[in-house]
Amino acid sequence: MKEYIATFYSHFGAIRFKKACEAIGLRAAVMPVPRNLSSSCGTCVKFQASGEETFPEKNEEMEKIVQIKGDTFCKVYEAEG
Amino acid sequence: MKQEKTFIAAAGIIIGVISAALVFFGNPVNMGFCIACFLRDTSGALGLHSAAAVQYIRPEIIGLVLGACIAALAGKEFKARGGSAPVTRFTLGVFVMIGCLMFLGCPFRMILRIAGGDGNALFGLFGFALGILIGVFFLKRGYTLKRSYKMPWAEGAIFPAVQIAFLILLAAAPAFIHFTEPEGGPGAKHAAILISLAAGLIVGVLAQKTRLCMVGGIRDLVLFREYKLIIGFAAIILSALAANVILGTVTGTAYFNPGFAGQPIAHTDGLWNALGMMLAGFGCVLLGGCPLRQLVLSGEGNTDSAVTVFGLMAGAAFAHNFGLASSGEGPTANGKIAVVIGLVVVAVIAVLNSRKQEA
Repeated sequence: MKEYIATFYSHFGAIRFKKACEAIGLRAAVMPVPRNLSSSCGTCVKFQASGEETFPEKNEEMEKIVQIKGDTFCKVYEAEG
Repeated sequence: MKQEKTFIAAAGIIIGVISAALVFFGNPVNMGFCIACFLRDTSGALGLHSAAAVQYIRPEIIGLVLGACIAALAGKEFKARGGSAPVTRFTLGVFVMIGCLMFLGCPFRMILRIAGGDGNALFGLFGFALGILIGVFFLKRGYTLKRSYKMPWAEGAIFPAVQIAFLILLAAAPAFIHFTEPEGGPGAKHAAILISLAAGLIVGVLAQKTRLCMVGGIRDLVLFREYKLIIGFAAIILSALAANVILGTVTGTAYFNPGFAGQPIAHTDGLWNALGMMLAGFGCVLLGGCPLRQLVLSGEGNTDSAVTVFGLMAGAAFAHNFGLASSGEGPTANGKIAVVIGLVVVAVIAVLNSRKQEA
């Protein structure tokens, strides 16, 4: 399993995505956005998935998804605008 | 992670010491920093209200925004964004300010008042925490002001540019800018411009790097059991307290005066101290950060926060034009009505923007 973090434009978007993860059996938790990932102080979702093809549907409040690789983050998705 | 907590604690300690030192250099007592009071003073200097005792363009505000802006530019984190319910944010800003001026201070000054021994601020802290809990209740019910969008770079640069204009107006002091007469009230008490500006710049950089937020500390503790941000909150109280005690010993003037009666720029009405800060705490959770954080975000190019700061400034003007702001004598009848209206308006905003069924 790979570990990912999804960031959002709102706390609401994060809660909705966490529920979407859990609905398809992915382990997910909401937490504050790590400082080295963003200067935003919002909520993110840390979740486990085998790959991008198993991600739940992205909602319109999602900002980006990164894969955790040790101490670094590797961007796998970014919303437009 | 551990390093981040150490950094936040260190930043909090530095900010606490700077806050105490600003009083030594001339700021009003227990008001090394107060975002609400300083925005109110700036509103007065611009003639948006005519309370002669509180008119001065506070360089700390200018420094905070520019410090955050410089740190964001250096860290490639300056991003012009906006479009997330600006009118709602403006309205929330107005009422957060009215709550703060009922209490006589923003959340930042609340902790500096505690560090100065002002027991009335503990009622404020109680109300503030209660307001945050109410805000968190709505966050959990799906409250959102919807997403922000990318804006042209220039849109995000306007607010920092306005601060540079304020600095020029302060230095040039043209006749149309109002300044409190010497000995004329809190507006006349200030550190030298360069000291205030430097203090603002340092705190602005630190707050941008740490995401320090008076509301975020309690909010994250309740939402996530995450105590990173509250470390900064606690560090400011402890270091300002220590600095006050040391300054008192060195100068022979008491900077730490425990008690309730006769506290500087404060009143002893516990209920309204608590309700004022409850309104501020509730409104700030809905805004996503305290007044200090709104200034820092404005410096990072967030135009929604810039609109919020304009709301705070307008709120200060209303508070003094309509007799809503408290004084050392206590709250006013108009102020009490305004705080109750504010609690209702903020609650309505919270309900209308919560989407539990969709979550």
